[in-house]
Amino acid sequence: MTNSALRFLLVLVSLSISGVAAAADEAKQTPPPDKSASVSEPAPAKDDLTQQLEQVLEAPAPASSPAAQSRAPSGPGNQSMNPDVSVILDATGGFQRHALMRLAGDDPDLGGALHLHGGGVNLQEAEVAFQSVIDPYLRADVFLTIPNLGGIEVEEAYVTSTGLPGGLQIKAGVFRSAIGRQNGQHLHVQDFTLRPLINAAYLGDDGLRPAGIQISWLVPVPFYLLLFGEAFSVAPPDNTNAFSSFGGGNRADLTYTAGIKTFAPLSESVSLAVGIGGLSGLTAGVSRAEVASQANLAGATSVLFADRHTLVGSGDIYLKWKPTNVAGGYYSLAWQTEYFVRRTGADTTNTLGAQIDGGIYSQLVFQFARRWFLGVRFDALGLPASTIQGRQTRESASLTLAPSEFSRIRLYGEHEDPGAQSTTASGSNYAAMLQLEVAMGAHGAHAF
Amino acid sequence: MKLRLLPIIGLALLPLGAHAAEKLRVVTSIETLKSLTEAVGGDEVDAQSLSHGYQDPHFVEAKPSYVVTLSRADLLIHVGLELEIGWLPNLVVGSRNAKIQPGESGNLDISTAIDVMEVPKVKVDRGMGDIHPRGNPHFWVPPVQGLKIARAITERLKELRPEKAAYFAARFADFVTELKRRAPAWSAQSAKLKGLKVVTYHKSWVYVSSWLGIDEIGYVENKPGIQPDPQHLAQLVNLMKAENVKIILIEDFYNRGTADMIADHAGARVLEMPSDVGATPDIKTYFDLVGAVLSRLTNAVAQAG
Repeated sequence: MTNSALRFLLVLVSLSISGVAAAADEAKQTPPPDKSASVSEPAPAKDDLTQQLEQVLEAPAPASSPAAQSRAPSGPGNQSMNPDVSVILDATGGFQRHALMRLAGDDPDLGGALHLHGGGVNLQEAEVAFQSVIDPYLRADVFLTIPNLGGIEVEEAYVTSTGLPGGLQIKAGVFRSAIGRQNGQHLHVQDFTLRPLINAAYLGDDGLRPAGIQISWLVPVPFYLLLFGEAFSVAPPDNTNAFSSFGGGNRADLTYTAGIKTFAPLSESVSLAVGIGGLSGLTAGVSRAEVASQANLAGATSVLFADRHTLVGSGDIYLKWKPTNVAGGYYSLAWQTEYFVRRTGADTTNTLGAQIDGGIYSQLVFQFARRWFLGVRFDALGLPASTIQGRQTRESASLTLAPSEFSRIRLYGEHEDPGAQSTTASGSNYAAMLQLEVAMGAHGAHAF
Repeated sequence: MKLRLLPIIGLALLPLGAHAAEKLRVVTSIETLKSLTEAVGGDEVDAQSLSHGYQDPHFVEAKPSYVVTLSRADLLIHVGLELEIGWLPNLVVGSRNAKIQPGESGNLDISTAIDVMEVPKVKVDRGMGDIHPRGNPHFWVPPVQGLKIARAITERLKELRPEKAAYFAARFADFVTELKRRAPAWSAQSAKLKGLKVVTYHKSWVYVSSWLGIDEIGYVENKPGIQPDPQHLAQLVNLMKAENVKIILIEDFYNRGTADMIADHAGARVLEMPSDVGATPDIKTYFDLVGAVLSRLTNAVAQAG
């Protein structure tokens, strides 16, 4: 009896110590602590744990204000206001029968030409990232890249709002468009050494990542539904050897995009992400010499379709199976497919009608052991085919070993059929590459 | 000029927003934090955990559906010490929820409430594996830690809902009472474990070992997050034989393959351990978790002895 009374007293003392004298008001409502009848009489001496618990309660609670809690993590290194810095290197070596048909900006360039082998070693990309919260309203992310030991490029440099109400977010600067699935992703999250063909063929040499502004809205519904709209000034391409959907006109001729992204967790281990979108802008056109069927067209201008209106529609789907834990083994399977279809306005000067063409890729990546991933992918352009985009296909496979989260060794092989159209490669082509990828510094989390 | 009025208008609307939501919506990164929030928050909170107790908290899929959950949260409680760095930060930014951004009162890094063990004293690099440069984040099982966590959550709930401060304080007092009611029995169980020699899979039991006086002889993962090499495993088997270690602790979300192999060679047994509320369906609360950890260990010792 005396024992439980003593304990009741202790509880009261601890209550007042933790600064909750106000609790006395409600003390009557709280159930009486510890009916002694229901517990066997404990030994007179307090046990170790009880003593430890009481010590904790006697010591003052650490400061609870957010400033004290979140802005002052332990360790002097974390007090720094420097941005998070990281560097990602991709070194790739290999052999290819001829120059590959349509390289994206961050694909490895191993040289070669129409009837010449390519090969050797190249630094596919060096990426330096600086990321930081700017103030309570903005954060900024800057990614500088040097592809294939060429000049330095601003891959992305943008600010993102963090404090807008109503689920709105604004992004401004140079950034990868949210259109499609892989366009928004950097090289180091790709499952293959080369980007899908549709990236360069329908969005631009290095995908669509011009200067612009994006507004997106997380729609307040019970499931994930994101709407976005973007406006970009697409710079003219370096050359018109390949058809570019955008970059015609001048900087005031904006390229617009809009899209919807949605996500459904079909079960705990199966997830489905689906996106659709549309793009509208002016094309920079394509050199007449590059279009086989028109190359010898008498009286035509040297660039076809220049400044014509282009409309691109996109659809993407991503289905992933990954068990919630690895008790049953390290397995996962992901299927990803994107399709782009494009309408290019008629080139009346050259008496060429409106063109409609499309492209697709579909890939399957299987994780079959803790550190091993096997991927297969099929690419096709010219589905349907048009004067400016004939049928071209590519089959590729990758085997990736990830010794840790921060390094990857990838064996990549592909076969491609450039069709009758291309003048940069001829006949059946193949390539084999070995890619080494390492990441140093702050490890940013990746989007799903 | 007119923009200057915006904060004032916002301020005027604030009480409306605060009263519109009846319960405080709390999102936690792991289920133990959800259980402790429910313990002290009672009917005034609606708590939800992003990960489950049977998942590895280092590797949670950053599903966009979690963005939706976070977008509606009033308070995010996470373990901190970079445990969730691989998945949580992007979700928090993606949520567009100003209340739960780092540094706001709706973002509680619960590691600030406890004394962190194994804070590296030397410059760390990833040659040491996927280490946590701010210290070991697997701290929530021992009752003393549970108490500190519950107290920090109580303080934050009081700050966010001052008008319910007395209620939260009373709930916390009930929690303390319950903890103390169970303490003598837990102490009796832990006395049987003092000096027990174990090998653990991941370096995630140091707080539990420190509480129970368990002697951690070695680790299957010699570098956290890196697949152990055969040479290390061979040495570990020899060490276990020399030290007569009979138990390998492994969280139930890891693959047992390597641990089973070591156990076979060393004549030990693998003990699957719950490390979070929800690890198994019967572990529904924090008290269940502490009880389950103790009973699995004491049962294993009883069987071995």
